[in-house]
Amino acid sequence: MQRSILKDLLILLGMFGLIWLAASLFSYPENPQLLSIEKEERLGEVYVDLILLNPIFRELENERVDSAVRMIGKRLEEGLGHSEYNYRFVVFENEMINAFTVPGGNILISSGLIGFCDSPEELASVIAHEMGHVEERHVVSRLIKELGIDILTSGNQYVMGEVTGLLTSTSFDRKQEEEADQFAAELLEHSSIEPRTLASFFRKLEEELDNELMKHFEIVSTHPNFRSRIRKALSYVPGDDFEALPIDLDWEGIRAGL
Amino acid sequence: MEYHPLPQPDEIEVRVREDAMGAYFMMFATAAMGLPLPILNLVAAVIYFYVNRDKGRFVQFHTLQSLYSQIPVTLLNSGLVVWTIVNFAKDYDFTSYYWGYLVMTATAGLIYFIFSLVGAVKARKGIFYYFVFFGKVAYHQVYRIRPEHGTSAPKNRPPDY
Repeated sequence: MQRSILKDLLILLGMFGLIWLAASLFSYPENPQLLSIEKEERLGEVYVDLILLNPIFRELENERVDSAVRMIGKRLEEGLGHSEYNYRFVVFENEMINAFTVPGGNILISSGLIGFCDSPEELASVIAHEMGHVEERHVVSRLIKELGIDILTSGNQYVMGEVTGLLTSTSFDRKQEEEADQFAAELLEHSSIEPRTLASFFRKLEEELDNELMKHFEIVSTHPNFRSRIRKALSYVPGDDFEALPIDLDWEGIRAGL
Repeated sequence: MEYHPLPQPDEIEVRVREDAMGAYFMMFATAAMGLPLPILNLVAAVIYFYVNRDKGRFVQFHTLQSLYSQIPVTLLNSGLVVWTIVNFAKDYDFTSYYWGYLVMTATAGLIYFIFSLVGAVKARKGIFYYFVFFGKVAYHQVYRIRPEHGTSAPKNRPPDY
């Protein structure tokens, strides 16, 4: 009797041990909500520092440009209202036309992009798009999808190198890009910036798609579907009470000082 | 080792059957009330056992079987609650082992639920129903006292070994 009971017990333990093991080996779709904002911000600080150590992404030391970008960022943050992120905008010295998002609300902008934008509103539309990726947690989702949450938060130096590479050559899927576009249009409207600036900026990018300088720019990474994104951005109609307020900056002077 | 004979359904009073059935249904009620502190279910199960221990071996068997099978489920649930709270409190990651444990606990809970439901129905009919492992332990504990033989052509039989 006792042996029979013991046998049953071993069968039960073995069965549930196997269920645990098999279920642990199963690959679950990881949710960015599982990485807290605080942890994301801590990770972001580390990765921004790592990226800026690279000579390709050396931080631009130009008070005028910094101040202009801060002003645009502040306008957008006011339009955003409440956010769980403390945004940080960093301009790096590189002729490439590029901007990308690092976890924790860090948005890195190339001096080449600032030179490419004909107005502060165009730059605002790019930053608003990047803020869309931040708020929708696209960067964290992609990193978790690529690496898994355990590896991402491991702090291993090889992993950090890989993450840095992923962040600086970011490409999102079509759905994420469209979500960021929609977010940007709404944010621009709330910030009293003409939301269709995004469409005109996209059109300008489309004309330059062969430009080698923008080959790493994530906004154009979905270029086979770029036309539909332009159409969607153009079809965004702001509310009746919308009034665009220009961003008061000497843009030509800022570009000339780059 | 010899065991007491098992009573047949027609020998078990309806009130006794209902008390035996209550051991399983009581678990569902306390499980609902005990969340998110599953240990309360176990406390309630122990109380139910002591309250009903003098109502005959049939009730004792079902109460003990229900109580014993409740123990691992309670421990698994408690582990899950603690693990989840620690993860949130310490900002730890929800690893694949956590998700595996969650799946295992949910599976155990589902199996427990199904077995309890069947056990309750059988108990109400005056029939013995043996859970894997727990049924044998409960039977052994309740019926092993002195050897007796049952009536001819018994309907209720000990579990197969």
